[in-house]
Amino acid sequence: MSILSFDETEESGYDIRPRRDAEAGTGPLYIVCSPRRTVGKTLLARLLAEFYFAHDRPIAAFDLADEGPQLSDYLPDVTTAVELGSMRGQMAFFDRLIGEKHSAKVVDVSHRMFRDFFVIANKIGILEEAIRRGIEPIMLFMIDPDEKSAGAYSILQRWFPEISLLPVRNQSVANGIPYWGAFPNESPIHVALEIPLLTASVKTLVSQPSFSFARFQRTQSIGLPVRLDDELRGFIRRVFRQFCEIETRRMCGDVRGHWSSNP
Amino acid sequence: MVKPVVVLVGADKGGVGKTTVSRTLLDYLAARKIPTRAFDTEWPRGTLKRFHPDITEVVDVTSVPDQMKIFDTLESSSAAVTLIDVRAGIMSSTLNALRNIGFLDAGRKGQLTFALFHILGSSIASLDEIAETSHYLTEAKYFLVKNFINNTSFFEWDQATYNSYFKQFKDAVEITIPQLSEMAYEQVELVAAPFTNFIANKGANGSPANHSFVLRGYVRHWLENVWSEFDRVKLLDVVGVREVSTEGAKPRLMKLAEAAAH
Repeated sequence: MSILSFDETEESGYDIRPRRDAEAGTGPLYIVCSPRRTVGKTLLARLLAEFYFAHDRPIAAFDLADEGPQLSDYLPDVTTAVELGSMRGQMAFFDRLIGEKHSAKVVDVSHRMFRDFFVIANKIGILEEAIRRGIEPIMLFMIDPDEKSAGAYSILQRWFPEISLLPVRNQSVANGIPYWGAFPNESPIHVALEIPLLTASVKTLVSQPSFSFARFQRTQSIGLPVRLDDELRGFIRRVFRQFCEIETRRMCGDVRGHWSSNP
Repeated sequence: MVKPVVVLVGADKGGVGKTTVSRTLLDYLAARKIPTRAFDTEWPRGTLKRFHPDITEVVDVTSVPDQMKIFDTLESSSAAVTLIDVRAGIMSSTLNALRNIGFLDAGRKGQLTFALFHILGSSIASLDEIAETSHYLTEAKYFLVKNFINNTSFFEWDQATYNSYFKQFKDAVEITIPQLSEMAYEQVELVAAPFTNFIANKGANGSPANHSFVLRGYVRHWLENVWSEFDRVKLLDVVGVREVSTEGAKPRLMKLAEAAAH
């Protein structure tokens, strides 16, 4: 039985970073997580999915939440509910994560499933396998002042040193917390990801399961007062611009890698 | 001349995971390129042979011709290690037979290395087996194996009781086989492949397969822990076998998983 060494591919100068969507037809795998509840995980997961809708790109969403409102309430057509309690549930989920390469994926990891998800991921090596198959996993960690969050962030850094881990600040939860210190971004994707504050009225509107950020962005007006309409459009613009930046940084990383192996 | 090594894997009770432990040992030795042959004493059909057909022969260890097949060829065989997977219930009688043919004496005289992997059951009766077995093992390497693969509870043993038995045999070394998901284990059984083949996403004969990555991941993680136990007790040193590389369990098994992705 021959045993190939991963080191052999590195010695040949082949870049082990995953190729871009356009080149390789593979999408990234976003893992939205926090060990704490109501920090904005589902909102971020929704926004990511809607970013892809807005650009007519395929996305598959996975919902590990067990208390509502859940991602599957907002995006029922593209969201699969996941249970990790059984081996069959784990196989149905994790095997699919690395089996489908061509669409981007976003996983909303509830605070209750945080530990289970990452213990299993670490045990079976799923994120490393994703990389080997050309899928780039990116962990988006919702930061907050609780020291449990800082502890969890540190564990993820230790367990998954090769995986991009980006701290995300939801301004309604973590305003004023610096990124450095407890939540350093040591990944090649240097984007300071923030979810801006929303006023109460706008927050109520976007919390409706029928509301779609992508559809709103495409529509001239839905009859909102100008002030609220401007606020919401500004919010979407700001968040989607950050997502574009993430995609650009990913592309730059791939281009740098490509040129280094093809001088 | 290199001393032949004989590894006996046995238990006086069925269903404790004896053949599973034999399989992990064969994978461990194969990964280190140590030539090994195996004898499966589940005559006539065999159980170990399903998983390692190329290196395993099914024998009736109670018959003299088959005993000659095993022990008269120790020095002439190209295998550095001979593993014998002893059928449940006949470990004591097999050891008795080995004593009668002078095999244990040969071990005592340093003509060969003899190691026994005694797979323990969860009842107190198993602990009594240790006392009976140890009589045969004055110069042998004695490994006491607690197999948790199917979530066995060794609850009948309180620590004091266990210590009172275990500590009597100062040269006995304890090995723990951790639990493995039942579904993952069953899938490997169905495929009838070595654990390393399953991890590398291959079938029984080494052909490409399409096993669940999740199950492969669990088997890899489990086997890493088993091999780490073998590394911890310096198994290769104990049986006097040398390998070229000193690579640890995890990197070695990760390469199998990585190879499957290419």
